[in-house]
Amino acid sequence: MKRLLATCVMSLLLTSGAQAAGFEARAATPAPELKAQDLAGAQKTLADYRGKVVLLNFWASWCPPCLREMPSMERLRVKMGGRPLAIVALDSAETPEEVNAYLSRMKLGFPILLDPDGSNTKRWKVFALPTTFLLDAEGRVRYVLTGPTEWDEGEALEVIKSLLAELPARSK
Amino acid sequence: MRFFRLLLLSAWACSFAVRAAVPDHQVFPAQGPQLLLWVASERGRAEPEVHAAQQLAAQGVETWSLDLVAAYFLPQLPSSMDAVSPQDLADWLRVAQASGKRVVVYAVARAAVPVLRAAAALEPAERERLCVMLMYPNLYTVAEPLAEPDFLVLGSLSGLRVRVLQPRRSAATPWLPGLLDHLAKQGAATSHVILENLREGYWARETPTEFEIAESRRMDAMLLRELNAWGCK
Repeated sequence: MKRLLATCVMSLLLTSGAQAAGFEARAATPAPELKAQDLAGAQKTLADYRGKVVLLNFWASWCPPCLREMPSMERLRVKMGGRPLAIVALDSAETPEEVNAYLSRMKLGFPILLDPDGSNTKRWKVFALPTTFLLDAEGRVRYVLTGPTEWDEGEALEVIKSLLAELPARSK
Repeated sequence: MRFFRLLLLSAWACSFAVRAAVPDHQVFPAQGPQLLLWVASERGRAEPEVHAAQQLAAQGVETWSLDLVAAYFLPQLPSSMDAVSPQDLADWLRVAQASGKRVVVYAVARAAVPVLRAAAALEPAERERLCVMLMYPNLYTVAEPLAEPDFLVLGSLSGLRVRVLQPRRSAATPWLPGLLDHLAKQGAATSHVILENLREGYWARETPTEFEIAESRRMDAMLLRELNAWGCK
């Protein structure tokens, strides 16, 4: 019986360890500059999202793992409606036409920003897609994830909730 | 007399040892003056690559196709490429140059690492006679988000002509200028071309676009076009 219990505990530890491997915690470093236009041509910076937890996702329409995780980001937006969470997807080094071609097939309720010359991609030192940064309400990078995930469940949801829990009670 | 026989025997044994170090490769013979050494990526040789090699040979470009993961029984990982002996590849390059043909190496992805290390191991005069085409080369030591990229130091590439073929639809495309600078700092004469509407490894994608399928079938034409446009004849 003891052996069975020990096996169960070990399995749980290994499982949670495997899940935790995806997100890389960072020591609250100031985020690089974000300077990009949305699809309507409006200029956006991180200051537009100050006071909110920010999920900043670098993606491209040619990248299958990026497209696989998009629906879960939309479900996350719906699930967290009314909470101070900004989901921002920054398309890396594509034209507006390429981005719009994808968006005509996939309706998303969160803002899409454009980075046609890759300047934001380079400032944030993104070498693989998708790469996602989770910023706290003070604009500091707290977690980085390289590769896709299901954003509305599991570790991803827990990490986002933990950042939201740091906010003063009135803004949660 | 016995000494002379022993000397001959040793020479034969030594030549066999050198030949044994040359990695096993497929040869697609042709009569033309060019020899293309095609080094597949860490994912191994794909069928469209074999087809393209056959097509090149049919158009007069002799092609030797090398699959490093198969030749050395390596796992299909980028790190496997770093473990390949540059000396083996340098010997292979010398054997190719000894054919008297104009030798161009074409290496894919992380296979660029052993190829460039082998080029660095050549004598300067041998290196100057060599041209290298690199398809989306991966030369990173570290590529972590929010950190400056760090590239491998490969040795002196002075006199080596390097052309990078970079598919547009790649996370590496914005970083191409830094990679070219790195190669130039090691002495290579660099040039590049962006391959529009294509992704890395487009010839072996699980879900290729129609354009990628079409381009996979005409890789030979793309390579011939690049060889001619580059002027490395």
